[in-house]
Amino acid sequence: MSAVFSIALEHLWLSVAGVFLACVIGVPMGIVILKIRVLAGPVMGVIDILQTIPSLAMLALVMFFFGLGNMSLITALFIYALLPVVRNTFIGLTGVKSELLEAGKGMGMTGWQLLWQVQLPIALPVILAGFRVAVVTSIGIATIGTLIGAGGLGEPIWRGIQLVNTPMILSGAVPAALLAIIADYSLGLLEKSVVSRGLQVKNTN
Amino acid sequence: MIRFEGVLKAYGSLEVVKKLDLHVLEGEFLVLIGPSGCGKTTTLKMINRLIEPTSGKILVNGQNIMEMNPVTLRRKIGYVIQQIGLFPNMTIMDNVDLVPRLLGWDREKRINRVYELLELVGMDPEVYANRYPNELSGGQQQRIGVLRALAAGPSIILMDEPFGALDPITRENLQDELKNLQSKLNKTIVFVTHDMDEAMKLADRIAIMKDGEIIQLGSPESILRNPSDDFVLEFIGKHRVNSCELEKVESIMKTNPVTTDPDRKGTEMLALMKRKGVNTVLVVKNDKQLIGVVTIEKLDNKQNLTYKAEYLADTGLPVITAGSPAREAFDLLVSQKLEYLPVVDQNRGLLGLVTRTSMVNALASVVWGEEELS
Amino acid sequence: MSPLLDLLLLRWPELLTATWQHIYISLGSVALGALLAVPLGIWLSTREHISRMVLGVVGTIQTIPSLAFFGFVLPILGIGILPAMSVLFLYSLLPILRNTYTGIREVDPALIEAGRGMGMNSRQLLFMVKLPVALPVIMAGIRISTVYIISWTTIAALIGAGGLGDLIWGGMNVYDIWLIVAGTIPAALLALLAGFTLGRLEKTVTPRGLKAGYTSGEGEFNI
Ligand SMILES: Nc1ncnc2c1ncn2[C@@H]1O[C@H](COP(=O)(O)OP(=O)(O)O)[C@@H](O)[C@H]1O
Ligand SMILES: [Mg+2]
Repeated sequence: MSAVFSIALEHLWLSVAGVFLACVIGVPMGIVILKIRVLAGPVMGVIDILQTIPSLAMLALVMFFFGLGNMSLITALFIYALLPVVRNTFIGLTGVKSELLEAGKGMGMTGWQLLWQVQLPIALPVILAGFRVAVVTSIGIATIGTLIGAGGLGEPIWRGIQLVNTPMILSGAVPAALLAIIADYSLGLLEKSVVSRGLQVKNTN
Repeated sequence: MIRFEGVLKAYGSLEVVKKLDLHVLEGEFLVLIGPSGCGKTTTLKMINRLIEPTSGKILVNGQNIMEMNPVTLRRKIGYVIQQIGLFPNMTIMDNVDLVPRLLGWDREKRINRVYELLELVGMDPEVYANRYPNELSGGQQQRIGVLRALAAGPSIILMDEPFGALDPITRENLQDELKNLQSKLNKTIVFVTHDMDEAMKLADRIAIMKDGEIIQLGSPESILRNPSDDFVLEFIGKHRVNSCELEKVESIMKTNPVTTDPDRKGTEMLALMKRKGVNTVLVVKNDKQLIGVVTIEKLDNKQNLTYKAEYLADTGLPVITAGSPAREAFDLLVSQKLEYLPVVDQNRGLLGLVTRTSMVNALASVVWGEEELS
Repeated sequence: MSPLLDLLLLRWPELLTATWQHIYISLGSVALGALLAVPLGIWLSTREHISRMVLGVVGTIQTIPSLAFFGFVLPILGIGILPAMSVLFLYSLLPILRNTYTGIREVDPALIEAGRGMGMNSRQLLFMVKLPVALPVIMAGIRISTVYIISWTTIAALIGAGGLGDLIWGGMNVYDIWLIVAGTIPAALLALLAGFTLGRLEKTVTPRGLKAGYTSGEGEFNI
């Protein structure tokens, strides 16, 4: 049991590491393409194309350049997480109503003040939604990380499949499924809780 | 044509339409008006069973609609809503001929009908029939909305604030067109609005609603003339001011005041007053020209009874010229504590007399309605 | 580049078979998914209570990691195309179901009131108004589903379903980058092509009257 627990923790760590890197790079990237609009098309285009590479292929390619092990998995997860993070940052920021921006400008806010005090807080739920998609996706892809020698819950599943050992499969599959479901659920809650009260849909019934 | 009998609609314990009795006559343009939330839409939608009454009966052409198939019923009743609701996936042609299509008319007849209708509102069918709703202006869209309701030739049309979302100029144009259409087509129309101007312009009869009840029902004129209570008074707002200002003093004066020649004696005048049951006579020269007034107090004096009217007459009394607003007469009567006020023409020719009684009668007719007056 | 050419010359029949398998596994799964999800979405659109539950369950299925999911069905269905397509079918449901449901729910209530007020029965309302208006959104759901199922199908090779994943997995085992590339490029192209074609189809089925400004995006998963 404790073995499963520590493998699950490793799994979580690997998944979150990739997403974390994607956020560190991706959120500023979303802001950059917001400010330098001509870059938006090309950047999103490249990220979109990276997404069409099937995950198995991505792992295989990454393995080729970075070798076997956890670092390769994290690299692959980083690439995959980039799309939801950059896209949602960009969409969230551009989705702020132009009246608000005008009001802000009218009150004498600078571009950066506007970004920090108006755009980012309003875009936060959308950015977090991207984060949530990225985390859940990463937990999923991390299960096949075992094929390139990474750790995590994919290992018992894969070994179980090869050995046709159902208990072994389930010892990885059940916690992996639970991990994804719990992450999705709790990030969903977080997403709701950061919506500023003024933006929450009023429940009038 | 449409008869509500004790119709009640409640959501839980909230009665939004209360025991409504209403008879909409054939060919009549009835406007339901009232503040937001008073139950106009609910009343309207009960007619085509988009909302079902909690209790009571609604008869259309003498038939209880609860015993009719709602789909069949609705195909016989035109329906126009504020949001227009043209189907964006259909051309104007397909939108307008929808009910005929549902009713299974043949294609040629439908096309002819759509062309005929578009021409009726001056929209060239060749241009518009194959357009989509989003290629039309808001006003044009609602014209189509009205045509769509007319398409299958229903005798009843229900309209729920159909022009409420349009700009004022377009709204007026569409009102004119609707009025024009109605004069040609003679439908029975139930029309919901909260705009009194619109109601005044279009209605044969107006039903004023408040808190789920009709508090006054009548022609626009009768409602203006006799608002049934303060709420109605307030609701008709600026129209009330207009109506009072339009009312001339002639319309409230007595036209046969008791008059006398300048050379009648006091005794004769006293006899006249007794005979006519009045306490004042007006002294006129040449059957016309007002000289003054003699009151019964003047004749209380034996000596005065022997004088002629000419000498007894009080000539300094205020008068009002014909054509002045009635309100001005009221103001004079009240502010100068007068009992009466002669109405004269430009040459001081006597036309009539406004007394306190006629003022009270005029006010009473505003408050209670003219019918009660004898 | 020449190693890739050599490989193609030598193993093209294998590549062709794998591509064909890939197409029918993925498109077959999505087609079956649409066959269930569209009617289900329509049915749910008038049943708010059950819909929340069903969408929750299908959403949860979606989050289950693919290898874990394959692991779950393996003991029951064994290996091969059947378990692979079963899992992919379940994965394909969510975008289609969600888009059908919200597409229909978001049809302007005024249209529904107008339709009912004019005497449409509920079938006519569905086929003449709700479905045509929601169709672009439903099609977007099918497109999103197709694109990522094509990507996920590569993983199905791990449980013996075949397809382009076979080449990639083979390349990983023999450490041959060209084999991996030979599997990856057609898989990516298939996904792009499907996305493009269905995107075009989406535009063609959008009635002219609805063309301005329909957006249809949902978060895409890629596992
Ligand atoms: N489905 C409903 N449930 C509860 N209350 C309702 C419902 N529909 C309407 N009401 C209430 O009934 C009243 C009358 O509504 P309505 O007929 O739409 O008013 P109007 O058209 O005059 O503005 C309102 O107070 C409204 O809140
Ligand atoms: Mg209303």
